[in-house]
Amino acid sequence: MSGGTTHSTTQNNAGTVGCRTRFAGLAAPGMPVERLGRLAQSLGLAPVAEPAGPAALAVLLTGAAPGSDADELWLPPIAAWIEPPAGSDAAGLAPLLAEAAGNDLYLNLTTATAHDLQLGGRLLAALNARYPLDGDRRDDLELALHEAVSNALVHGNLGVAGMKELSAQELERFSRDLGDSLADPALAARRIVIALRIDPATDGPAEDGPAQDGRALATVEVADEGAGFIPGPRTSSGASGRGLDLIGNIAEELEIGNGGRSIRLRFRL
Amino acid sequence: MDYGIEVRDQEAVVRLRGRLTFNDHAKLRTLIGEMGQNKLKRQVLDLSSLEFVDSAGIGMLLIAREEMDRAAKQFVLRGAAGQVKRVLTVAQIAKIVPMED
Repeated sequence: MSGGTTHSTTQNNAGTVGCRTRFAGLAAPGMPVERLGRLAQSLGLAPVAEPAGPAALAVLLTGAAPGSDADELWLPPIAAWIEPPAGSDAAGLAPLLAEAAGNDLYLNLTTATAHDLQLGGRLLAALNARYPLDGDRRDDLELALHEAVSNALVHGNLGVAGMKELSAQELERFSRDLGDSLADPALAARRIVIALRIDPATDGPAEDGPAQDGRALATVEVADEGAGFIPGPRTSSGASGRGLDLIGNIAEELEIGNGGRSIRLRFRL
Repeated sequence: MDYGIEVRDQEAVVRLRGRLTFNDHAKLRTLIGEMGQNKLKRQVLDLSSLEFVDSAGIGMLLIAREEMDRAAKQFVLRGAAGQVKRVLTVAQIAKIVPMED
């Protein structure tokens, strides 16, 4: 792996990649119809009650809304999952949708919501629906996505240290810290942003292009708002510290950026 | 994740079901307590119905092993399959904890 780059990757996406996803509509489980109608109209999107059809949709999520954990919400045509920032209107959502449009799949959620959603599995379902993966590869990618997301949530946004000693007391400490952090509104409101791009395989040798070997290439960036960390030698003798190693075994590339607040993974599909 | 404990003649068998992840810390604390309390020397964790384990889940299995060691009990992982087997293999857990098919 290479470490130490300090780019704010999400800003790069919007700037350099341009439009990858053209959203046709906006769905929002649990939101009153009139409010969704107004919001969608000011964003130039159609309000959508039941996601269907081929055109990409964005969905507004809050962890508390009934139905926000329904399986079908994580399948095409939905390509972006955004939790509206508190008190935000269309003007607050527009930049997030613009960022989403620069990617093939995009999530921007609070830690409180993301913590309850098993995002690794959800993201894998969304990816697998577009690029069907075989059993082992599917399992591996799910683990890598899950590890990247849980690192961002637990160690990043919630600031909870991994379990070091192998003892029940250390497990209790982890349990207590996680509960305390989730109950802290400031930490629970920190956001996790996941941006995924898929570059299809190209015919013939790619000229410095990302897709080779006849296999599509997925690039996933997971960014948190925690204190970051300094990548260093990893120890796996204690109860924690294996996550990044597992990711490194699975991903073709792993890059830590923004002072440890973002991780970029590349996988052949 | 959920689990059931079956106390047999020679061993206690704990069957884990579902997904074992960082989010299962509270259940693992309870489980480790229960394994420590039953009288049997040999504690078997049956992983055959476990579908997914993450790095924190592996850490919690190692904590369980350490606690059983402190309680002078044997601790065995049995029946790992699929993703669980792959991850335990990659993390070389068999070097630390006895594993049975």
